Amino acid sequence: MEGPLILKLLRSPRPHARILSINTERAMKNDGVEAIFTAKDIPGRNLIGLITKDQPLLAHDKVRFVGEPVALVAARDEESAIRGVEEVEVVYEDLPAIFTPDEALDPGAVPIHEKGNLLHRRVVVKGDVEDALSRAHLVVERTYSTPFLEHACLEPDAGWGYVDKDGTLVIVASTQNPHYDQREVAELLGVEKERVRVIQAATGGGFGSKLDLTVQGFIGLALYHLRRPVKLTLSREEVFLATPKRHAMKIWMRTAARRDGRLLALEAKIICDTGAYSSYGVAVATRAAVHATGPYEIENVRVESLAVYTNNPIAGAMRGFGVPQVAFAHESQMDILAEGLGIDPLEIRRINAMRPESVTATGQVLGESVGLLEALDAVEPHYREAMEEWKKGPRRPYTARGVGLGAMWYGIGNTGVRNPSTVKVQLDERGRVVLYIGAADMGQGSTTVLVQMASETLGISPEEMEVVIADTGLTPDAGASSASRQTYISGNALVRACRKLSETLLEEASRLTGLPRGELVLRGGNVVSKEKPERLVSLAELAALAKERGVSLEFEGHFDPETTPLDPSTGQGIPYATYSFACQMAQVEVDLLTGQVEVRRIVAAHDVGKAINPKGVVGQIRGGVAMGVGFALMEEFLPGSTRSFKDYHIPTAADMPEVIPIIVESSEPTGPFGAKGVGEPALIPTAPAILNAIADALGERIYALPATLERVCEASIRAGWPKMGKGGGPR
Amino acid sequence: MVKGYSRPRSLDEALEMLARLTPRALPIAGGTDLLVDLREGRLGECHLVDISRLEELKVLEKRSGKIRVGAGLTFSEVERSGLLRECAPVLVKASSQVGSLQIRNVGTIGGNVAHCSPAADTIPALLVHRAKVVLRSSNGSREVALEALLGGPYKALLAPGELITEFVLEDASHMWGEFSKIGRRRELAIARLSLAALARKEDGRIGELYLALGAGTPVPRRMESAERALLGKRPQEGDLWEAGWLMAQEMVSVSGPRPSTHYKEKAACGLLVRTLLPLLEDGS
Repeated sequence: MEGPLILKLLRSPRPHARILSINTERAMKNDGVEAIFTAKDIPGRNLIGLITKDQPLLAHDKVRFVGEPVALVAARDEESAIRGVEEVEVVYEDLPAIFTPDEALDPGAVPIHEKGNLLHRRVVVKGDVEDALSRAHLVVERTYSTPFLEHACLEPDAGWGYVDKDGTLVIVASTQNPHYDQREVAELLGVEKERVRVIQAATGGGFGSKLDLTVQGFIGLALYHLRRPVKLTLSREEVFLATPKRHAMKIWMRTAARRDGRLLALEAKIICDTGAYSSYGVAVATRAAVHATGPYEIENVRVESLAVYTNNPIAGAMRGFGVPQVAFAHESQMDILAEGLGIDPLEIRRINAMRPESVTATGQVLGESVGLLEALDAVEPHYREAMEEWKKGPRRPYTARGVGLGAMWYGIGNTGVRNPSTVKVQLDERGRVVLYIGAADMGQGSTTVLVQMASETLGISPEEMEVVIADTGLTPDAGASSASRQTYISGNALVRACRKLSETLLEEASRLTGLPRGELVLRGGNVVSKEKPERLVSLAELAALAKERGVSLEFEGHFDPETTPLDPSTGQGIPYATYSFACQMAQVEVDLLTGQVEVRRIVAAHDVGKAINPKGVVGQIRGGVAMGVGFALMEEFLPGSTRSFKDYHIPTAADMPEVIPIIVESSEPTGPFGAKGVGEPALIPTAPAILNAIADALGERIYALPATLERVCEASIRAGWPKMGKGGGPR
Repeated sequence: MVKGYSRPRSLDEALEMLARLTPRALPIAGGTDLLVDLREGRLGECHLVDISRLEELKVLEKRSGKIRVGAGLTFSEVERSGLLRECAPVLVKASSQVGSLQIRNVGTIGGNVAHCSPAADTIPALLVHRAKVVLRSSNGSREVALEALLGGPYKALLAPGELITEFVLEDASHMWGEFSKIGRRRELAIARLSLAALARKEDGRIGELYLALGAGTPVPRRMESAERALLGKRPQEGDLWEAGWLMAQEMVSVSGPRPSTHYKEKAACGLLVRTLLPLLEDGS
């Protein structure tokens, strides 16, 4: 195969501007430049988006954020590609740019999109909030804010492609979402879906950022025109500039409680800055609204959540889909209420904790897998020890210790929409089991978990199976690896497929041996009798026999969780079939002189239904905690100024606290082996717990993330800690 | 963009090369700052002269009461040196807090000073050690006080073709020293503020005290108002707060008010108190 052409993107330097002209003539004169594509070269529909199609692959009439792709250069080498990009001439006419949702919602604001600047409004209402407020003993009202965040995957987005012998455009790319990529690229190119094949390359982290099309569309476009191998790798700076971010949010919350701590009402207004294009904006705003109560039963709820367009970078999916942001708010509210009512923070959570048959804000009656109380119980001994002993222990002068809790719930799968998965299993002629799984594994371990489930169901060790992963040419559509859904949804689909296979095999074996089917089981690659575990017939023999008899040994399993759409005016419905729950505790030490915070320990109890792979669950918890420490203390993407890891700080190993993971298993009857999910839940309670611990240490609270040196120092001064100045010192 | 690369075998050859290739010549040692600038396209066309393996830049000795420290020593080499642990404790502590282990293994103190970042970790340390800088070029050599080399942020006053070859430090054996740094995280962090402190107590009083602040002023500098406030005292906690306050005021008067001042003046004061607590009567 000849060496690939190198692709590079020309990106808009303007946040909001009309494109008056694009001239590629001078750039094309470069020797190494083979082709330059602009919007007019897109043969199909130049519009992409996971939920709302509002984003051109290449800008045509105007640009809406700094970094938006305008032209694609294909060149023989990197240097020519760079020169080509530099020499494309674009004439822009600036439009007023909008960088905050408040400005964007102003009636006089320039519309960023034709339909206006409000992408989505989600309302969740239940009960009578006014009445509840009038009956409340304590009402707490606060406003919280959280910044844009970058996913900071180990691997920048990258991919390559070639044209297959039969003319299929093959795209190999880092992705969480191969089947979506395939559909979207086919639409862009105006070709049949089958003419595009997307294969997931080994993917160095996703966290939601590789759900959108990143490189796939450009590779597809170049393949379509050039019919030769091409390659596109984004630089780290491009990843920072132009790939989706976590939504910055402003959250106003009013929570009302009785004297005994029982929550009566929650009101919230959530404003999500969704940036220039929608990406997952609708889903994030919706999930934030649905989860705004936190994992507590509250009878009266009124939540409004808006996703608003601005000329900031696109905000999309990031581990937790809006729930980490609202969890910071509801968990702060819980501690403020606890203090106001004189109730222990753990106790107030226990009083209000969801339990089996609790009714959620959307009116859903929960099933039996609600492990929040167990998670609180698991954390309690650590919490008591930390409060009563560690907090009072010896420490350096001018430091304060604090202990904080954070609890969460998280609906598994997409919100109130169909999100099916299909998995295929086959016993091939050689007697080998082959799994065809469309779920992208970007390091979270879905493949391992799914193979374990197949192994358990078919009685074959994992080493003896073959697995084909995330290849639209070979695997059925499992949906996106997002929303902590693959263990639960693809797990169910896989188990169903494997059961079909095992039933057929046992039937065939029964026919062969004359023994009743009920006496046979699959074990160690053979059919054995339950009574005498000796080999009766091997899978290889059964495969050969089936071939002779023309019996197919290829089965598909399908699963789509039972949900109902949310009512547009009330938000009532059943958005998820099941929820994961968790509680974490943070112990922090705050330097009162400098604002430095050291997270000493996180105890993390997670109800995952069933830990299919306990080490994997623990890995997710540790990774989630690391991300949570960053969210709490240091991560902040500032549009227009954050460029790379030079100015975007994520925690290093040295910033990691001791982590004590605790697995809670409240079995989910509809889950495969009782499993739910843990990928996103792992991150959600960490920042709330840390911020509550800082507030406990200082006696003063921080309402904006991250809790930087500056904010902690301010809070410590507000709290009356050491006063600087002549004659200063401790007060 | 890098147009050439040479690795001279000796210091003389390096100096000759730098003279010949000026102004395009760029000396590279660890490259931990230079590569960032290169990647961001800030350096124009250049010819790299690799001085990382020159033994002449790795001098480490005590001679006539002075400590000679080669500019080509990496932070890790400084950290590991028994001589420096004894005679230059603040430089050792500052070197051990630079970047990450990977950076400390290749980055050099000469490079740290030549890059002249306001937040350079070793500059405040070298200042409290009252370092002189030995500079050489193909025309000869000169020795200047470190302060005289710090022209401004990222502006070391090096003549074209000139290399820092070594630092000459006062012997700080038997002195107490500390280097404290505030960063946005515990490793791989650029200092928001740093403080180098070197002191000698005599009969409970502070007989000698050198303080230098990093990242608070355009270039790191000695903080003499705070030094004076404490010299000769048997310090109480209140004295530290007063000295911290004076230092913060000195910082603000040098830098002028900035958006970061609000935090930094409190933090500078706090950092001084935190750092000098061991000097209290009952502290040491």
